[in-house]
Amino acid sequence: MKQLLNRFSPRRLGHLVPIFVLLALLGLFLSGCDTDTPQNTFDTKGEVAEKQAEIFYIAMWPAIAIMILVLGGLLVIMLRFRERDPKYVPPQIHGNTRLELAWTIAPAVLLLAIAVPMVVTIWDIGREPSEDAFRVNVIAQRFSWEFQYPEYTDEDGTPLSVFDQSGFHIPAGREVAFYLESVDVIHSFWLPKLGGKLDVVPGQVNVLWLRADEPGSFSGQCAEFCGLDHANMTMTVIAQPQDELDAWAAEMLE
Amino acid sequence: MASVAVPKRSPLSEALKGVRLSAADYGSIWSWIATVDHKRIGILYGVSAFVFFMLGGVEALLLRVQLAQPDSGFLDPDAYNRLFTMHGTTMIFLVVMPMSSAFFNLLVPLMIGARDVAFPRLNAFSFWLFLAGAIFLNASFFTGDILNGNLGAPDAGWFGYAPLNLREFTPGHGLDFWMLGLQMFGIASLAGGFNFIVTILNMRAPGMTLFRMPVFVWMTLITSFLIIFAMPIIAVALFELTFDRLFDANFFNAEAGGNPLLWQHMFWLFGHPEVYILILPAFGIISAILPTFSRKPLFGYAFVVFSGIAIGFMSWGVWVHHMLTTGLGTVANSAFGVTTILIAVPTGVKIFNWMATLWGGSIRFRPPLMFAVGTVAMFTLGGLSGVLHSMVPSDFQQQDSYFVVAHLHYVLFGGAIFGLFGGIYYWFPKFTGRLLNEKLGHINFWLMFIGFNLTFMPMHVSGLLGMPRRIYTYNGEMGWNLWNQMSTVGAFLIALSVLVFLFNFFRSLRHGEESGPDPWDARTLEWSIPSPPPEYNFKEIPTVSSRDAFWHQKYREDETGKIVPVLAGGAVDDEAPEDEAEGEHGHGIHLPSPSYMPLIAASGFPVIATGLIYDYALVPVGFALILIGFFGWVLEPATEEE
Repeated sequence: MKQLLNRFSPRRLGHLVPIFVLLALLGLFLSGCDTDTPQNTFDTKGEVAEKQAEIFYIAMWPAIAIMILVLGGLLVIMLRFRERDPKYVPPQIHGNTRLELAWTIAPAVLLLAIAVPMVVTIWDIGREPSEDAFRVNVIAQRFSWEFQYPEYTDEDGTPLSVFDQSGFHIPAGREVAFYLESVDVIHSFWLPKLGGKLDVVPGQVNVLWLRADEPGSFSGQCAEFCGLDHANMTMTVIAQPQDELDAWAAEMLE
Repeated sequence: MASVAVPKRSPLSEALKGVRLSAADYGSIWSWIATVDHKRIGILYGVSAFVFFMLGGVEALLLRVQLAQPDSGFLDPDAYNRLFTMHGTTMIFLVVMPMSSAFFNLLVPLMIGARDVAFPRLNAFSFWLFLAGAIFLNASFFTGDILNGNLGAPDAGWFGYAPLNLREFTPGHGLDFWMLGLQMFGIASLAGGFNFIVTILNMRAPGMTLFRMPVFVWMTLITSFLIIFAMPIIAVALFELTFDRLFDANFFNAEAGGNPLLWQHMFWLFGHPEVYILILPAFGIISAILPTFSRKPLFGYAFVVFSGIAIGFMSWGVWVHHMLTTGLGTVANSAFGVTTILIAVPTGVKIFNWMATLWGGSIRFRPPLMFAVGTVAMFTLGGLSGVLHSMVPSDFQQQDSYFVVAHLHYVLFGGAIFGLFGGIYYWFPKFTGRLLNEKLGHINFWLMFIGFNLTFMPMHVSGLLGMPRRIYTYNGEMGWNLWNQMSTVGAFLIALSVLVFLFNFFRSLRHGEESGPDPWDARTLEWSIPSPPPEYNFKEIPTVSSRDAFWHQKYREDETGKIVPVLAGGAVDDEAPEDEAEGEHGHGIHLPSPSYMPLIAASGFPVIATGLIYDYALVPVGFALILIGFFGWVLEPATEEE
């Protein structure tokens, strides 16, 4: 009984405080990701972002399990095997080949297992944009974006070009192929709710396709450090039904 | 001695000998400047690295104050960009690497039963060149108009991506200082890497086979091999950048047909092994601490060693995971995604083996153990978020977000820095003869542990909420405010913990409890000699017949299999050979003489670099200094004639 009390003495519980803090942080962590803040990568609004989040969860749950196993294990070991007699020398165990092979092979199998859906998704979202995708040429420059719409041209055949950082329009419910070009340094094109980023590299054209499932307004920004005002290289993309988009474009062209 | 003798004694060589002898007086400041003693070089490395640790920490605090609230005007964007560039560069090249070098220097010869490293003067050269590069890099702060509050430091990030690093986009000399400073660290690290490989392969005490070496020595060996293969790659990249910036070449200029991604390939082909260069020494340190404080041998020595070797090899096959969003295509992304996932296997092996080392032990909660266990726990978290990054599709969301900032700090602070602090608490008594205060040590640990998690745990969230890295400001509507405030508070807790450490350090240097040679009942050879160790380390080179050589001098199994202390054994030989040690070299042990030549040679490099930036006339002056240093080095006798 005394031993049991000793085990739960305030001093011993004091050692647990940081663990509680850690758990509290973890709780906060999980609740924080459950909001609809403008760039929340879990509040997915498009096919690509959804698939990426799925892959994140596939790895996250085993990761949390292993975290609990290791941190909990450490805590148990520390308490159970703490020094009781300063003279006591424990048996000198040098290892156990079977056990060690087990904890080499088991993680390898687990990791390869989660690698399978990962590779499948890489190829899935990494495909070329489909034929009927809506094409937008994105030109990145320090520190703003330009969207060109080859589908909408004026009388001379010049595509509609938009510089308004707070209102780039795309169709909702239709695949959009972004052709990314940079006129200066490397930038990165990122609309978190629609999908992960792709760098905009001078000298090459990277192609990213995304789809907004529903009409809405999406916040994004440059994700590769590009110089002085990198922080303010932001944009808002508005997804709307095709007919509204056509109307908007016609108005812009006038 | 019939060594390669200088033919005839000229007055010059006599004068030089006089200068050398004045440095041989073990205690004068000159003896520190001209020292070739691995222990003193280790201390010099450690102290300089700690100074830069505080500098990099202050930079971090400034960044955190700026980010504590949205739209903050504490720093202007220019200063912010320069400070985060310097924070990253400093912490990696000026703190973790030299701090690891400090431990290599202090410990490797003692652990393998040697009197010094293989090339003591080259060792001094490494240190001075590192320091020259570090001072040179930090001097860049003053190249701006600092009196008007404009810093002049580099501002293209520690990774200095092309083509942002070209003169067209990053004018000013900050980046020139950065690239030339890094080039100097590279040379210094290479010299150190070769030195430790040769030392470990050739200078082990009789009986110390490779598989009887302490794991720390193994990790040093692996790290040194990584250094000698990784550093030349960054050297080439930096040379190309130097040509681009100074002589209008076009390696990275896309407009002229250069390739900006070439820089990223080279930088990360260096950069990923570099991550293991930063973390393996800490793994070595905790592989020494955990067995000592649980009174058990390291569980699965061979697995720990071979997993370290596996990490060394695999670290060359994962660099593209830093470039998954550059558009290399699905094949490259799949291949490197899988290799990256698999590198978690050898790392996991180590973690399980460390836990098994503690299992069944008799664990003493002393500060070194607290830091070592903290390392295991925090590195685990960093490793797990690393697995999340290796999931390529989800990395598209995480790349260049605060989630990565969280991950890398869990690995490099929670892993490397915690481990290095554990090492300081563990070996401080060995090199000062006094223990660091225990109570302050625990306060230090808990403050740092809580502060660390409060700083970096919320960054996971802000990153997943879409906060990109390297932004000096953000909009208050983004939902990042709370997480950033937590991080800022945590950062100041870390700073407080470092102040506690400093207080403890200086107080214990004078008033600490005397430790004796073996305060922890440790297992490896360095504890078998007095604290601090004599100049010559071992009076007699020990003969080794097992792993944990010192432990076996102290304990044996009796007939029932119980472990009992060896009677009268293990008595540490803390009596210096009194009558002999008095006189200079009276003990008859030959030690390399102090030398100023490494310092002279190293001082030529910053002169050349300054010349390249400001005035080519200085370049030959620098070369002359290097030549003088090297010639003097070759011509001066390796040991003083008696």
